[in-house]
Amino acid sequence: MNDFSFIGTLQRILMESGFAAFAEDPRSLIMIIVSFVLLYLGIVKKFEPLLLVPIAFGILLANFPLTGMLNEPVVVDGVTQSPGFLWVIYQGVQHAIYPSIIFLGIGAMTDFGPLIARPSSLLLGAAAQLGIFTAFLLALALGFEPAVAAAIGVIGGADGPTAILTASKLAENYLPAIAIAAYSYMALIPLIQPPIMRLMTTQKEREVKMEQLRVVTKAEKIVFPIAVTVFVILLLPDTAPLIGMLMLGNLFRECGVVDRLSDTAQNALINIVTIFLGLSVGCKAVAENFLTLETIKIIILGLLAFMLSTVGGLLFGKIMYKLSGGKINPLIGSAGVSAVPMAARVSQVEGQKANPANFLLMHAMGPNVAGVIGSAVAAGFMIKVFGG
Amino acid sequence: MGNLTASSFLVALSGMVIVFIMLSVLCAMIPIISKVVLAVQKPVINNRVAETTRPKPSETVNPAPTGVAGEVSLIDVDEKTAACIMAIVSHETGIPLSELIFKSIKAI
Repeated sequence: MNDFSFIGTLQRILMESGFAAFAEDPRSLIMIIVSFVLLYLGIVKKFEPLLLVPIAFGILLANFPLTGMLNEPVVVDGVTQSPGFLWVIYQGVQHAIYPSIIFLGIGAMTDFGPLIARPSSLLLGAAAQLGIFTAFLLALALGFEPAVAAAIGVIGGADGPTAILTASKLAENYLPAIAIAAYSYMALIPLIQPPIMRLMTTQKEREVKMEQLRVVTKAEKIVFPIAVTVFVILLLPDTAPLIGMLMLGNLFRECGVVDRLSDTAQNALINIVTIFLGLSVGCKAVAENFLTLETIKIIILGLLAFMLSTVGGLLFGKIMYKLSGGKINPLIGSAGVSAVPMAARVSQVEGQKANPANFLLMHAMGPNVAGVIGSAVAAGFMIKVFGG
Repeated sequence: MGNLTASSFLVALSGMVIVFIMLSVLCAMIPIISKVVLAVQKPVINNRVAETTRPKPSETVNPAPTGVAGEVSLIDVDEKTAACIMAIVSHETGIPLSELIFKSIKAI
């Protein structure tokens, strides 16, 4: 006790604190600033706040030095040391649990009625996956490994959980950049799509008023998720977690006998898992993985993927306009990029700008939900080819 | 050009084709499923509607005021009550109103 020195102790505390660690590696400090910027975008600009806020906070927590929150469990002298909190949370992404549960909630919130009423919407959902495959080629051209390029391409599906699932399987180190790009651009859909829509369609095409959709019976809505599950999973087994959960959620919604489960899936459960998913994605954004030239490339490729998917949907919309003798408004094609229901709303807004009596929302919901199935199929294909 | 090779183009093309094939098959399946479902449903619908609208053998028919709302003849029933009954039948059977045909609604 005689050797105790207040100043010495204070000095030692400071030397062993996170502040001192910043001096050794200031990149963590930069990541913390990045997390502040993302928090600003989420809270003030309202860019997908439900995901961006937990992601940003995950980045903040993961980049504090010396916390050990990302530590894996290790065995020291025969004793297993507890893993870090964020490492445990991340296992839900590592094993594709969170994206699948999010799909359960999406399924419970989605009405496939417009798609069943007009099955040709599925083709628009397929065409709008163009961005996935073109961005994959662009990523390869920029020097990414094929598996990583495939994960980057899936950003073009405009479907956050699918992009996260694919990245966790094919490009774990790039997961944060891919997830942030996917969710940021989904939030920016109302800014990204309209100029492309106006550029690629004529005033006459945008003015087209579409006929009212037929009424879909309850039995059709119940049989649909079961049939899709059987068919798609048998053909592409890698899509099972996403398609299986999406359709189970939808069956909860439509069968009418498990209202409590449907309610839980589309509210409490999806909210809980969103918190874990956001934190998990954020916690992987540590300086050595994130502060790289590759991140900038991914952000740019993500934007191109979104734009090219929109172009794909619109091009097929124009083909359907011609084939239907002008009865289908090509603007609904852009809704084929998933981003439910944002992309469908953009089609509605643009359609109404061209013709105030135009109501395209329900017509655009068909391609919109088809896009969810399409992007899951495309992701399943990529995982099959590059998953090893 | 980075890691771009001829086989990369083949992968991209195959992926796009597979997505199209998959969704095209679904597109073809949906009308078939709908037809099967509706075909199976029709006898059930007809039976339920018949049960709902058939008068009991013991009851006496009131010749009192008879009205017609659209194509449904209303016997001792006002339009508001008739609308409620139609909505309940639709809800209980899970059949949209547009697919149900009511011939008459009668107070018992």
